[in-house]
Amino acid sequence: MNILSLFQNVFAPPRDLILIILAAWVGLTLSEKRAPLHRVNLDSLSNLLLVSMIGFVVSGRVLYALENLSIFAQSPASIFSLNTDLFDQWSGLAIAVVTAFAYGRRAHLPLWPSLDTLTPLFATLAIGIAFSHLASGLAFGKETNVPWAIDQWGALRHPTQIYEIIASILTLVLILIQKPIAKPGFEFLLFVALTSASRLVIEGFRGDSTLILGGFRAAQIAAWPILFAALASIDYQKRLGHEKE
Amino acid sequence: MQPILRRSLFAMILLTGLVWIFISADRTNSATAGRIPAPQKGFLAPEFKLETSDSQSISLTDYRGKAVLVNLWATWCPPCRTEMPIIEKVYQGYQDQGLIVLGVNSTNQDDPTAVTPFVKQYGITFPILLDVNGEAASLYELRSLPTSFFIGRDGIIKEVVVGSMSEALLRANIEEIIK
Repeated sequence: MNILSLFQNVFAPPRDLILIILAAWVGLTLSEKRAPLHRVNLDSLSNLLLVSMIGFVVSGRVLYALENLSIFAQSPASIFSLNTDLFDQWSGLAIAVVTAFAYGRRAHLPLWPSLDTLTPLFATLAIGIAFSHLASGLAFGKETNVPWAIDQWGALRHPTQIYEIIASILTLVLILIQKPIAKPGFEFLLFVALTSASRLVIEGFRGDSTLILGGFRAAQIAAWPILFAALASIDYQKRLGHEKE
Repeated sequence: MQPILRRSLFAMILLTGLVWIFISADRTNSATAGRIPAPQKGFLAPEFKLETSDSQSISLTDYRGKAVLVNLWATWCPPCRTEMPIIEKVYQGYQDQGLIVLGVNSTNQDDPTAVTPFVKQYGITFPILLDVNGEAASLYELRSLPTSFFIGRDGIIKEVVVGSMSEALLRANIEEIIK
């Protein structure tokens, strides 16, 4: 049994979620250490995370139940089920972001320094998600004959999950080596730029992309404007800093 | 970095991104999901042929064109025991709509003599297949018990659920495959 098979056996779903929880723990620790550098109140930030996490969990389940009302009407107790599949993650995430913004305003947390502080958490979560993809075999690559191809789902494929792990680790390292410079928001924008750029590249090797008209990959079409916006914001921020000097 | 250099670099990154989007577009839909058998969502369900305890041979291809739930389980597995009555209850409600449930007992890691009493105890009416040599477990890369595969009428796996299912999850996935 090779290392990859061993890893996939140990962290086979649903145990792959352990990797995301572990990443969240490491990410929170890193963010907490960087909070004083960005002059962000750590208690308020911790409360913000707790509130948005509650918003994520509750709204994700409640919205899923509302979308499948006829099913839940037949077994109402399932609303408290431990099945993580009974969950609308995108709606939950949207509510979590709205909750975080609302709480941040109420607690007078500065937007850009708070986002900078949380950036190591986001970057570490991206690593955890990449490892969970490797464990579950999701986000798999397209067929290839490259020497480093892996045997997965009945074919030799690009190891896109490993590309994802490498890209997300490099992103975290590039963020951590940044000095907490007097340009609030830079670390967060750098994270967004690097993550969207790596998604744009890696998606081209995926074997499970959602295709739109002309065979274009939907994730790439979404990642390009995000990359554009992040680079434009970094440029604007640098220009402002230059003018002040 | 000078602003002009920085903007040139950013423009080059964005342009390269656009070119990559065009180069990596999948115009021939070369994705193999749906065409080759693999135990993953979006792939063809791997074919197997097993016998029931009364020596009746059942093959997955017998049910092509029907919505099929393949549930891999064992008598000693507590989550399997929890979900089995739920599967039976839901099966009773959906069998008129063409739902097929195949309970594949992982006999190679179970006590074969415990299967029939288990089936009687839980009043199971859907076919129970005995995976004596672990053929189905191997084809479906079984790593945890129970594991359920929801297969659509086209023979493609629509969802894989590892672990015990609640009634709502079971119903939600069945609704998807009987469409």
